[in-house]
Amino acid sequence: MIISRELLTNSDNHSDGVSDIKSLVQQFVVAAGLAGATVERVARSHESLKDAVQRVLSGENKALLAEPDDLPPELWDPLRSLEQVVDHPTDSQLRSAMVGITDAFAGVARTGSVCVALTGSLGGAVSLFPRRHVAVLEARSIVARPRDVFTAGQLENRGLERSFVFITGPSVTADMGELVRGVHGPDHLHIIILEG
Amino acid sequence: MAGFSEADTVHPIHPREVADKSVKGSLSKAIRMALDVESEAVRRNTRTFNEGRYRATAAIEDYEQLKDRARAIKEAAIDNLPELLTKLEAAVTSRGGHFHLARDAADACHYIKKVCLQCQARLVVKAKSMTTEEIRLNGVLEQAGIEVVETDLAEFILQVSGEQPSHIVAPAIHRSRERISRLFKDAFETDRPLDTGEDLTRFARDYLREKFLTADIGISGANVIAADTGTLMLVESEGNIRMVTQAPPVHIAVAGVEKVVPRREDLAPFIELLGPSGTGQPLTSYTSVIAPPLDYPSFSFGGPPAQDRQFHLVLIDNGRMSMREDPVFREALYCIRCGACLNVCANFQAVGGHAFGGETYSGGIGGSWEAGTGTLQKARFAELCTGCSRCIPQCPVRIDIPWLNTVLKSRLDQAGGGVPLQKQLFGNFHLLAGWGSRLAPFAGWVWGLHLSRLVMEKLAGVDRRPDLPSFAARTLTRQYRQWRKKRAPQVQPAGRETRRRAALLFADVYTNYTHPQRGMATVRVLERLGVQVELSKVIAEGRASLSQGMITRAGQRAGNIAAYLEDHIDQGRDIVVVEPSVLALFRHDYRHLLKDPAVFEKLKAHSYDPMEYLQTVIAEDDLKLEHVFDVDKSNGKRVFFHGHCQQKTIDAVGPTVDLLRRLGFDVSTSSAECCGMAGSFGYKQEYHELSMSVGEDLFDQIRQAETPGTDRIILASGISCCEQIRAGTGRPVLHPMELLAGIML
Repeated sequence: MIISRELLTNSDNHSDGVSDIKSLVQQFVVAAGLAGATVERVARSHESLKDAVQRVLSGENKALLAEPDDLPPELWDPLRSLEQVVDHPTDSQLRSAMVGITDAFAGVARTGSVCVALTGSLGGAVSLFPRRHVAVLEARSIVARPRDVFTAGQLENRGLERSFVFITGPSVTADMGELVRGVHGPDHLHIIILEG
Repeated sequence: MAGFSEADTVHPIHPREVADKSVKGSLSKAIRMALDVESEAVRRNTRTFNEGRYRATAAIEDYEQLKDRARAIKEAAIDNLPELLTKLEAAVTSRGGHFHLARDAADACHYIKKVCLQCQARLVVKAKSMTTEEIRLNGVLEQAGIEVVETDLAEFILQVSGEQPSHIVAPAIHRSRERISRLFKDAFETDRPLDTGEDLTRFARDYLREKFLTADIGISGANVIAADTGTLMLVESEGNIRMVTQAPPVHIAVAGVEKVVPRREDLAPFIELLGPSGTGQPLTSYTSVIAPPLDYPSFSFGGPPAQDRQFHLVLIDNGRMSMREDPVFREALYCIRCGACLNVCANFQAVGGHAFGGETYSGGIGGSWEAGTGTLQKARFAELCTGCSRCIPQCPVRIDIPWLNTVLKSRLDQAGGGVPLQKQLFGNFHLLAGWGSRLAPFAGWVWGLHLSRLVMEKLAGVDRRPDLPSFAARTLTRQYRQWRKKRAPQVQPAGRETRRRAALLFADVYTNYTHPQRGMATVRVLERLGVQVELSKVIAEGRASLSQGMITRAGQRAGNIAAYLEDHIDQGRDIVVVEPSVLALFRHDYRHLLKDPAVFEKLKAHSYDPMEYLQTVIAEDDLKLEHVFDVDKSNGKRVFFHGHCQQKTIDAVGPTVDLLRRLGFDVSTSSAECCGMAGSFGYKQEYHELSMSVGEDLFDQIRQAETPGTDRIILASGISCCEQIRAGTGRPVLHPMELLAGIML
């Protein structure tokens, strides 16, 4: 907690540039970790994204792929050729798959949240039904605070209109007398950040 | 607390039987039941939330500004509510959704039932919604032959147990894992293990997953609704809200009209405040920001076939528009249901919402809601608000919850035909105390007699067990007069550059009649520091009346005091107040009682806690502590300090701890929000046990701070805290000024 707070104060001086993105990414990584997610940073290229997803899927036999809401096809399309990946899943595949892969149109540094759009690309369902959710996030889409998602001029206004969900760590409950991960949503959230 | 095994208790009273507090006797029965069965789980859970909130809100760099922003949005929204509702209806219908404004519970239930029947729904899945609890929706749908399944795990537990919510955010907070395990083993025939939290969650997850996938309709609440776009904000951790709003083809959202704010960007402060204020998470796992109907087809998992989605927004008045017209209860409409006021409340921590709550709403804010959406009598549990005020700084929309409860108490007494004898007695403490000290020690003797205690219990509901405050024969006024005879007030030495401070020590009735030594210690220390001290007249200031809900009388007293004190302030005197509950009146409560806000602001700016005042004088005059105090006597000396609840709220505790540490004391502090005595609360027959149960937390902390052989001097600023600690631990308790007076050079 204390670490993330210190990082936060540093980041609030909004000066443009690479160092700014870097510090947001650093805060994001710490906060997401505190929220119970795992985070991995890779270079922004289709090869490294594909490699990262392949590593995550080792040992899994089926992973659902949502259509990307914002990531360009040249980054996303190569994922379709991975052995376990099912794109355009049917409803019955939605019900039974163990892993779901979506893009995220925004990340929030303070809270380590990713924002997934709820559209026909099925990000909403693919990030909810399976036991594991893999979210792919561009470093430059990380904003400082939740309010920035709603601020005109940020994120090319992507947060201003659409329906979406802030996802912060795995699904949890304390209602059964102790803290348990994995209730109606995934018990594991893995975030891949594309940098550069 | 100790001594019973929660897991083995089957209590003769079911919480549901005592949910409606308008039924005579239900409040005391509910307290009994809660202390017997639910206290341990409620304490553990509320305290975890409470500590989490302190951590999480401290990490928000602009927390105070964010609260101002949230408050401003709610104020504007409630001001413009009719217009916003029109706007919202247009936004929802333009997206293809349906909008219904229900005037009351029956209207809302009728509409929702109609939609369910039109859709030929057999199965409805529900997310947690206090509003649907309020309108008793489940029963109506079930009578129409529809299966209703609660999917929030806490609500799922309640559906099985038949209990009402015990907390507005975590409705099953009163149940330990053991009690949930036993409940499920009785209710479900299954071979699966149902022992650990993990077992129980897995079982519920699988049971409910099937329901999500085959449901015809999902019913959710909404935390906040933006009128411009029809956007709902929904906050949760489990994922059931996402399921309810995304899996079935039909989504009905049910919310009170007060949840509407003007614009979509207005959701942001609430997103940032809800998680930290509620559960102590920076953001809970899922915050949905959706403008339904979602624009992609529903799924078909073996239930209803995939189809275009249907959305209904049902907004409920049910008394809210009348609350809006009420100058006091309008403020309750700002509530965003974060639960902070429940988690921070010492009484709530001890009994939870089955006692400190009604059929739907609970805690400090709950009384206003039960009264606003039901009847005034249902808010009788507002008596459990002692006015300790710890909830005030925690509320993300700055609602003065104790004030709402004071007004509720007052209206309840008016409706009940007058102020009962018990309240008259405590509310006029100054009269009692005046006679008590005139007649001491005779009064003390009568006071202590078994027979008089029995009579007082019977006639006035004064519990016969606690020691009553003993009245000093030599009041502060008398002692001060004698002291003055020997020492003329200090006169400003000629040629001195710095302005010497002059102070009026306020002779509050508690210090004057029961603990004059605290006042004298303050006089001596302040004079030693060169402050010109004068003692005030003894005038009842209204604290006692206010805590009994006697607002008119408290108002008269405030008016008298303000005129008197203003005079002194104008003559260049600061007001120093030993008893924190009285200081809190001047710095907070008088805002409600004084007609002229400028007078209140003046009083607030010029009144001080003694230790705070000391710090100010020391800093101003650049005094060296070692020139005033014998630091050999303080260095490394172990003390335990319990700050008074209201003193914490008005930010007057910090200086005490700070000054003690600067003097070299080894200070350990209490984290108990309130000692439980809360003025007269613990003397009342129906609340004495609760009060001692609350105090047990503080007593425990004292015991823990004193590992064997490391006794600490126990310090408390409040007189009732001091009485409570003495009763609970048998130990003497000093005011910090008494400690300092003892080490002056």
